[in-house]
Amino acid sequence: MPVEWLNPYHLQVGSFLLINVLLGVSIYITLSTGQLSLGNAGFMCIGAYTAALLSTKCGLPIPAGIALGAVLAGSAGVLVGLPSLRLSGVYLAIATLGFGEVIRAVAVNWETLTGGAVGVAAVPQMGRVLLANLADAGFAPGDAGLRPNQFIALSVFLILLAVTALVIAFFLRLDRTRVGRAYAAIRLDEKAAEAMGIPVTYYKVLAFSQGAMVSGLAGALFAHSTSYISPEDFTYHRAVEILVYAVFGGSGHLLGSVFGAAALTLLPEALRFVSDYRHMLYGLLLVLMMIYRPQGVIDPPLLRRLHRARAEEAP
Amino acid sequence: MFLEQAINGITLGGIYAIVALGYTLVFGVLGIINMAHGEIFMFGAFVGMLLVSKAGVPLPVAFLGAIAAAASMGLLLDRFALRPLRKRPGASHLASLISTIGVSILLENAAHRIFGAGNHLFETPFSDIRFQAGSVTVYLVQAAILGISLLMMAGLSLWLSRTRAGKALRATAENLETAGLLGVDTNRMITATVVIASAMGGVAGVLVGMAFNFINNRIGLSMGLKGLAIIIFGGMGSVYGAMAGGLILGLSETFVVAYGPAGYRDAIAFVTIIVVLLVRPQGLFGQAVSDGKP
Repeated sequence: MPVEWLNPYHLQVGSFLLINVLLGVSIYITLSTGQLSLGNAGFMCIGAYTAALLSTKCGLPIPAGIALGAVLAGSAGVLVGLPSLRLSGVYLAIATLGFGEVIRAVAVNWETLTGGAVGVAAVPQMGRVLLANLADAGFAPGDAGLRPNQFIALSVFLILLAVTALVIAFFLRLDRTRVGRAYAAIRLDEKAAEAMGIPVTYYKVLAFSQGAMVSGLAGALFAHSTSYISPEDFTYHRAVEILVYAVFGGSGHLLGSVFGAAALTLLPEALRFVSDYRHMLYGLLLVLMMIYRPQGVIDPPLLRRLHRARAEEAP
Repeated sequence: MFLEQAINGITLGGIYAIVALGYTLVFGVLGIINMAHGEIFMFGAFVGMLLVSKAGVPLPVAFLGAIAAAASMGLLLDRFALRPLRKRPGASHLASLISTIGVSILLENAAHRIFGAGNHLFETPFSDIRFQAGSVTVYLVQAAILGISLLMMAGLSLWLSRTRAGKALRATAENLETAGLLGVDTNRMITATVVIASAMGGVAGVLVGMAFNFINNRIGLSMGLKGLAIIIFGGMGSVYGAMAGGLILGLSETFVVAYGPAGYRDAIAFVTIIVVLLVRPQGLFGQAVSDGKP
């Protein structure tokens, strides 16, 4: 007896939401040291292509490909970050924007490896592979009361949920460690942080490559959730979309970007007419947020207020 | 062959230089990168296209139309996206970057809504007229583009160095507060800069239409990104850097397409920026500031 209310489409929206949340986290990490990166779409591209190519061309198991994709994107982050972090804000933004465009140009032009503008098709989809493996072990989705497509969508969603929860938990913890405090100090005043003995360049590169790694992870998971990727998925617009998550949700706290990514993924789903004007809305949001609430919807004072309110409710 | 490619490169470079001048003027005075410049340029190109191809007016009128449209968009941009940020003390230098990115996304998608995603033919009345000099063919369009861009560059240089308004603008760029104390209406100067830069974008838009014979809603992004590359290459805020950088980029792109891997044409600009930022962060004509950072 299948569970009728479990709609694969909703689960798919949920999966994309989780990937966007990861992207939101990725830009938050770099922003938490006061650096604006517009290259996260490029890092995502590296992660996605690495994972997709390793599984389609080398037959590597999916988890290994995803891990390698994230690691490679993170290493690219070190390579890009090390020199460009000597640059201050605006220059870094443009240099990383340029990096993203170069990566995309490589993806379009290196046809023998990347399939050019057509992209990589038939990337093994996590849910389907899991289902096939379980079927070999004698499991049928019907046993759990699910139709196959429900099972596939549900397993992808749950895998992404677990990964996203882990990543968020990790970076929430990081905020309270020496590393997180160093990030905050650098964001507030780089020179003061340096005077206090914080190795600024080290922490900036660390934050930058952590962000790149999370972008790469998101890209790799994206490739194995959709089973088709092309350079079109990783354009400048993607980078701007990621930026909007952090700017709208709030760049002062990790949960701000998470909220931003979730809200802006659900908005076009909830309001159909919005989806046609989605990018125009994003543009308008960026301008309005910068004028009226540059710190984003969720900022640390708001979180503290919410926290206090909850504490008062349950003494 | 070589000479013809060189002429193509210089023509393209002239357009790039004009686009880059729009960025460099605003950066020089406001210290911000106007990410919406590319899209204002694109709207200028569309207005020019509508006037020339649809309304059938002569080219100079189309130029005036594009200038008027782009300049008024610059005025709106300053009024609604930049001035509110200037008024708030302690606004991050990234705020205006993000705000203009917002405007650019808004405009690009508005153009998509209005004009569609396809290419629009930009018909220049004299597109077939060409001269033969020995083995080299030069199109009148190319000569016109080169002439107009040189004229604009010369005009801008003269205006900046000789006129009272130009001097006020340079003073504002040098130091906003001091210029204000010396009696320069800095707020008006800032608005004027954004409007002039946008008007130049409008001219560049029509030039691009003339050069490529078609336009679409994505040229703002692609030309805008190149303009950014050029000002980093030439040195932020440097007028001569933007001119030289534009010519160099135009020439190198043309020669890469002619003799090298054509697909990477659009990546050249960015590889250049990354290399320049590493080797000479202040750019070709820029001046290093005290702590070694640009």
